[in-house]
Amino acid sequence: MAKNIFKKILLSAPAFFLLAVVIVTVAAPWISPYDPDSQDLLNRLQGPSLAHLLGTDSLGRDTLSRVLHGGQFSLSVALITTLFALLVGTVLGLLSAVRGGWLDELFLRVNDLLLALPEIVIALLIIAVMGPGFFTMVLSVGVVAWTPTARLVRSMAAQALSTHHVEASKHVGASRWFILRHHVLPFVAGPVLAQAALRFGLLLVLLGSLSYLGIGVQPPQSDWGSMLAEAQPHAIRSPWGLIAPGAAIFLVSFCVTLLGNRITHVLGGDDVLATETKAEAHD
Amino acid sequence: MLLSSFAVFLVPFVSPGEPVRSLLRARMDIGAADEATVQAYAQQFGLHDPMLVQFGRWLGRFVTGDMGISHISGTPVADQVLPAIAVTLSLAGSALLVAIAVSIVLGVISATRAGSWPDRLITSVTHALIAIPEYALAPLLVLLFAVRWSLLPSAGFDSPASLVLPVFILALRPISFFTVAVRSGVRQALDSEHVLAARARGLSSTQALVRHVVPHGLLPLWTMVGVWFAGLLGGSVIVEVIFAIPGMGRLIFDAIVDADIPVAQGGVVVVVACAVLTTGIIDLVHKLSDPNVRIGVRHG
Repeated sequence: MAKNIFKKILLSAPAFFLLAVVIVTVAAPWISPYDPDSQDLLNRLQGPSLAHLLGTDSLGRDTLSRVLHGGQFSLSVALITTLFALLVGTVLGLLSAVRGGWLDELFLRVNDLLLALPEIVIALLIIAVMGPGFFTMVLSVGVVAWTPTARLVRSMAAQALSTHHVEASKHVGASRWFILRHHVLPFVAGPVLAQAALRFGLLLVLLGSLSYLGIGVQPPQSDWGSMLAEAQPHAIRSPWGLIAPGAAIFLVSFCVTLLGNRITHVLGGDDVLATETKAEAHD
Repeated sequence: MLLSSFAVFLVPFVSPGEPVRSLLRARMDIGAADEATVQAYAQQFGLHDPMLVQFGRWLGRFVTGDMGISHISGTPVADQVLPAIAVTLSLAGSALLVAIAVSIVLGVISATRAGSWPDRLITSVTHALIAIPEYALAPLLVLLFAVRWSLLPSAGFDSPASLVLPVFILALRPISFFTVAVRSGVRQALDSEHVLAARARGLSSTQALVRHVVPHGLLPLWTMVGVWFAGLLGGSVIVEVIFAIPGMGRLIFDAIVDADIPVAQGGVVVVVACAVLTTGIIDLVHKLSDPNVRIGVRHG
């Protein structure tokens, strides 16, 4: 059964595409055709050619090599932020569902407020206070990013806790921890994982926007967002500088979303976008 | 409510960081900021007082409409925030109207023909829309519509035409979430018993759709619109920066880049206040409009 589910999810076009992206990004130092930082001022802003498959940027650097290397930063910062949000959201959501009472009430109020806040403004504020950097990026977005996960975990866990078999295991003396591990977590895991995939896609775009604004990744390091910012002034002469990193962000984000959607479908849910709990911010 | 307002006041409270140092960093080289200059500035803006005292003073002035003086331009913050919020309100409002119209059409088509090719197409498109980085799409559209075809202005905020691209781009992400909400709401309504009853009374399927299914199926949409409205008020940073629109997002972004703390604080507090206000209103509307919520039955 479980094996079958994994097969259905993993044997799909988006999954293969993502795997390929991860492989080429990790292998970027070995497979990029050029050093991403080496300049060739005689060949600036070239279109795609055999020598430079995606053209060159305003300093004559190879766009393909820069996309591959930039992916390392973009993907890792999005991944770590997603994991951070997943961890915090799951712990707080479970706590809220299990303990209930004033803790739950407090949780709902804080969650409501954070859900309504524009994430990017919060991120701007935190970066302004702490200065830019990899972990500031994670933290600045993570502060708000855990809320949809927490809400989903809370409502799923509450649902699981109210079932008859949980009631039954309580009566035969199962500990709270045992119930959580055997009855709640397996029930919560699937939808939360699907939502995490969607969150990853959204966070990839959001974190890219911080770099685009110049407050994310700092030179000499670069990522897809900062590449877009660098390419924009030269877009009239060379739109490829915009298309390549833009398409990278779009395709990765699109494929994880599709993957997340596949998970919900296999589990019998409706649409992964519906788990983005902006939808049920007020129940 | 008390709790959320407390959290609102906490946001600007934690944001000042090292006001003087960052102010000076913005105005001159860090090396040039000797102790005397720092002290003089700190004295001028009353930054030597304990944080809580500053906070209380600032809060007291804020509620009376005095949001302080910009460190950079020396003009009152309120004079910058109020026009900006008007601009952003119109921008976010138009984007949401577009999104609502498009998503109702798409959502209803998708729900009533579940599983057909239009449904699958719409579903794919909604998943694609949320993955678009607007900071890549916007320059590309400007390149096409403004540079190549000269149809629309590339930036600014002076004519209806200058709003077309920003509104379109801002509407993309809400369109996907709204469409999914409409689709699932309408599908749920289609299965409900009162629609069956209406059909049994002899209403045609179109009549039943217009009179019973759609109004009921749109309930989840309205909740979402509120949350998104609040989010777009400050969340349009990227679009406002790209299209040089003098709205809230751009104001806050510029203020933060320039370390103009009073403006950043004022802007953020106004955005947060709007967010809290809108969620409150939506909550209320939701309670009044849905009989189940009104009599205290939980939504399944």
